[in-house]
Amino acid sequence: MSTSELAPELTSPAGSIAGPGQRTARRRRSLRGRLEPFTVVSYVGVSLFGLFCLIPLWMIIAGSLTDESALARTGYSLFPHPFSLRAYELLFSGQSLFGGYAASLFITVVGTALSIYCTASLAWVIARRLPLVSRPLTIFSYIPMLFHGGLVPLYLLVTQVLSLTNSWFAVILPIMMAPFLVLVAVSFFRALPEEVIDAARIDGAGELRIFFQIVLPLSKPILAVLGLFYAVTYWNEWFMPLLFLSDPSRYPLQLILQNLIANVTNAAALPGATAAQASAPVYQLRFAMTVLTIAPILFAYPFAQRFFVKGITLGATKG
Amino acid sequence: MEHAAQDRRRRRRISKRDSLALLLLAAPGIVWFTVFAYGPMVGLVVAFKDFNIRQGIFGSPWNGFANFRYFLSSGDAWTIVTNTLVLNALFLTASLLAGLVLALMLNEIRGQFYRRFMQSSIFFPYFVSPIVISLMLQAILSGVGGRGGIVNDMLNVFDLPQLAWYTTPGAWPWILTLVKVWQLGGYTSVIFLAAITSISEEVYEAAAIDGASRARMALSITTPLLLPTMGILVVLGVGRIFFGDFATIYAIVQDNGILFPTTDVIDTYVFRSLRTIGNFGTTAAIGLFQSVVGFVFVTAAVLVQRRFQKESAIL
Repeated sequence: MSTSELAPELTSPAGSIAGPGQRTARRRRSLRGRLEPFTVVSYVGVSLFGLFCLIPLWMIIAGSLTDESALARTGYSLFPHPFSLRAYELLFSGQSLFGGYAASLFITVVGTALSIYCTASLAWVIARRLPLVSRPLTIFSYIPMLFHGGLVPLYLLVTQVLSLTNSWFAVILPIMMAPFLVLVAVSFFRALPEEVIDAARIDGAGELRIFFQIVLPLSKPILAVLGLFYAVTYWNEWFMPLLFLSDPSRYPLQLILQNLIANVTNAAALPGATAAQASAPVYQLRFAMTVLTIAPILFAYPFAQRFFVKGITLGATKG
Repeated sequence: MEHAAQDRRRRRRISKRDSLALLLLAAPGIVWFTVFAYGPMVGLVVAFKDFNIRQGIFGSPWNGFANFRYFLSSGDAWTIVTNTLVLNALFLTASLLAGLVLALMLNEIRGQFYRRFMQSSIFFPYFVSPIVISLMLQAILSGVGGRGGIVNDMLNVFDLPQLAWYTTPGAWPWILTLVKVWQLGGYTSVIFLAAITSISEEVYEAAAIDGASRARMALSITTPLLLPTMGILVVLGVGRIFFGDFATIYAIVQDNGILFPTTDVIDTYVFRSLRTIGNFGTTAAIGLFQSVVGFVFVTAAVLVQRRFQKESAIL
């Protein structure tokens, strides 16, 4: 389900795309002159939307550092007061956090590696434009984008046929390949310089050698893009774990967090029902857990965001 | 020309050993698609069966269209189908419009550092998982211990009545749409920005000579030139219109039955019935219904796009 959420396929409206350097130079030239109303509106609009995006995140961070008693009495404030690390101490002293990280890391790392390998190798075979093979294979990987079996058959497949209940592979396998990303990789491979590959062929390299020693090293940008899309999907996935993992010691972070929320959700919705719960740092704990769940993304973000933009652009221009 | 030559070179005969190697390369992918994409399609026969686990998928007795009849007569069918359509139409329209407007506005921002910082900030929500979104929303709407919350505090300031959001179904289509804009606005804007960079600068220069303002350029040049991109996004969105954004909706609503009248979509309904009733046949029937109608929507969308935007058609 979440893989279908990935970048949509796009074609650009016109011609080739200007490099970023060229673009900024041009923009500077054409934008000399007076400040126009629309520009002012734009600055204000974008800034407001930026705040709209970041404030919830900041609230969570601030909440995780605010003492539970203050959270209950005065609600949220943008600055943690009184400052407290109690939730983090509790989380780090327990077992479930480390178990959660282990599960999430396993699912993300192993899953991403498998995903990249399978996507790239299938895409390469399609990209070779082999007679009788490539076209059927394209259709073969396109149809699942349009039509799928749905939840019930998938559930039966994983639990009854493959007996993967409580295995992390039950989380990895169902979302291992995204048809859309296969097609993005195909268009990237088709744009590789044919001469290099021909030269290798003349030198007597076999198909496998060409793929592993020539194509893959030339394809680092697309591999990075695939890796990032898949890694985010795996890291954020919580529905497959919810379906297929029943042993709490194997829960990934998202599911631990989900449990932490679900246990008091309905009580929290009703005013006055929560006096008893206020004594334990339930809310502070949840916030701290949330922060720890998104922390890896925050650290990887400055690096990842660049590649993501590249990936979307790649989809936009190669379509 | 060049392509034809390239094709010919590529179509060179390949040896047996080479084709074996290629088969080996493609095998994991083919196996995955066969098992996890096509396997469940075969499993859809469950929709026509009176399924029980002991006899398995193929051993269970057939029962024709009974599962479909049961679903259609249950009274929930109408609600969840309309919810699915309405919510997804709202999500699609709102996130596309937000993306377009954001892209037009980002395009006006000159300071490179500020521009990059803002782009990162509005793109960030795309990386946040549905579970985390759900927690943020709870913090904002219901605050700590079910009282307060920032939104209610603000309503208080303006002397407006506070609302118990999690017991007010009418508000949820809008809240969920806002969540979608938060989550996908920045992401969609990047897609549009990528398309904007391929618009030739000469057009803008000509417009500037004619005395067009920046607002006029955005409205009369950029927006029309973004229509093909918009078209594709709409087609893809319409193709998914029957697959309500399960992960986000379920993470937010959970099993809060009070909100079902406006938030229950096909996927959440299927999941809940599977878990609580355990009726595989009926839930598979709903899934099949969803897939078939979804397929019809995709095909219709693709055909319409082909008719009106031939150059940028997807298929």
